[in-house]
Amino acid sequence: MTYSLIGRCARTGRLGLGITTFSLAVGGRCEGVAANIGVCKTQAFPNRTNDPLGIKLMAQGYLPARVMDMFAANDTEHSYRQVAIMNRDGKVAAHTGPGCRGWAGHKEDLDCVAFGNGLLGPQVVDAMIEGFLKRPEDALEYRLMRAIEGGRDAGGQGPLDAHRAERSAAIKVVDRRDFPDVGVRVDVHPTAVAELRRVLEEFKLYEEFYRGRDTDPAKAIPQDVFVAQLKAKRA
Amino acid sequence: MTFTLLARCPKTGQVGIGIATYSICVGLYCNGLRGNTGATMTQAFVNQGNNPLALKLLAQSYMPQHVLDELKANDPYHEYRQIAVIDRLGRTVAYSGPKNRGWAGHKVGEGYVAMGNVLAGEQVIDAMAKAYEVTADLAFERRLLAAIEAGRDAGGQTGNDGHLTERSAAVMVYGDYDHAELDLRVDLHDKAVEELRRAFEEYELYRGYYKERSKNPKDAMPQYAFVQSLAKGKKEAAQ
Repeated sequence: MTYSLIGRCARTGRLGLGITTFSLAVGGRCEGVAANIGVCKTQAFPNRTNDPLGIKLMAQGYLPARVMDMFAANDTEHSYRQVAIMNRDGKVAAHTGPGCRGWAGHKEDLDCVAFGNGLLGPQVVDAMIEGFLKRPEDALEYRLMRAIEGGRDAGGQGPLDAHRAERSAAIKVVDRRDFPDVGVRVDVHPTAVAELRRVLEEFKLYEEFYRGRDTDPAKAIPQDVFVAQLKAKRA
Repeated sequence: MTFTLLARCPKTGQVGIGIATYSICVGLYCNGLRGNTGATMTQAFVNQGNNPLALKLLAQSYMPQHVLDELKANDPYHEYRQIAVIDRLGRTVAYSGPKNRGWAGHKVGEGYVAMGNVLAGEQVIDAMAKAYEVTADLAFERRLLAAIEAGRDAGGQTGNDGHLTERSAAVMVYGDYDHAELDLRVDLHDKAVEELRRAFEEYELYRGYYKERSKNPKDAMPQYAFVQSLAKGKKEAAQ
């Protein structure tokens, strides 16, 4: 049981993934987000080798549909996996194996694929798409955050009489360089989506400061001074 | 302001990092681990291009010292960086640039580096190195955790107005595969090392279950049933 959205910002070319689930530390199993290449995420009963393989195949020029064919051929348990793939041009492929449990499905829309399993119903996936498409002018990390919040608010995981909390959540966004641009995680928490929003908002306050320490360290103020300034602004 | 233990496990060949810092979301910057390749970390004033570049150089079999030399030559601000590089054989180098702030330094041991900046003093990295060494009989990830806990207990970080708490922390291990074997983060917390330990001990209960579920999905117990069996086990153990 998990619900996720992979997406692309057509304006900037940034690529990303937003995910939340009942399982712990889901952000530690999201290797398939690669700048200038694409996004690949396998969930439900995940085959961990799929995502790095998918990135390598897309880097060689294979289209998402062909990558999915190769996953199917390479994995005897493919029918238990749920996979979504998007390349840097926004071409996608998605697969929800019949072995996925509970309500499971995926849906494509402009620059995104929403997919999940063990969900309340298709309204969860619909709400994710709606959240993602709501403000296309926003930074991709906010659009991903809104997608998973939409999924949560539409009922999230589990049937009506057995709702399952989100215990971990993550957002990962890459830009042009080969390291993550924005990445926030909550690994073990009773309301992981709300906590992820808190971490994201906090990270955004530091983002420019941290970038400046990288590109122009001589001018960087000490972090405790920066934090004191933040506190003063809030007060 | 960060303290880190970067290592290659001599028993398993895995590479890993344990890290804690006053900065938030530090795990985001730990992208320098790759099985059968090596481990690298740039901290203090991070150059985010360093880790991916160092891994590519290690993959081409450059020696760690040469990798470090390249990172320095490629970066006009390298004196602000703190860098460690370990290759797949455990050969290890480290550099604490003269423009790191506060007390900054590193200690290179057999296949590992303890390093940090804006620290209470040298005792922090000494404690980390010692904790890593004396836990040789534990699982690699437990040794990494023990190291950052020891760094915290030895005083951790000291800023302009005294002690700085750890607000984020992470422990990561890579082995045979090109996905992480363990990747746990605490991004924003006022006691991030304690929280990382809590997350780790909780995750440990699930690790085998998650691995098995991926390999053999047909027979996998639903996770909720697994969670209930854990709770039952805890209750019985308490009685």
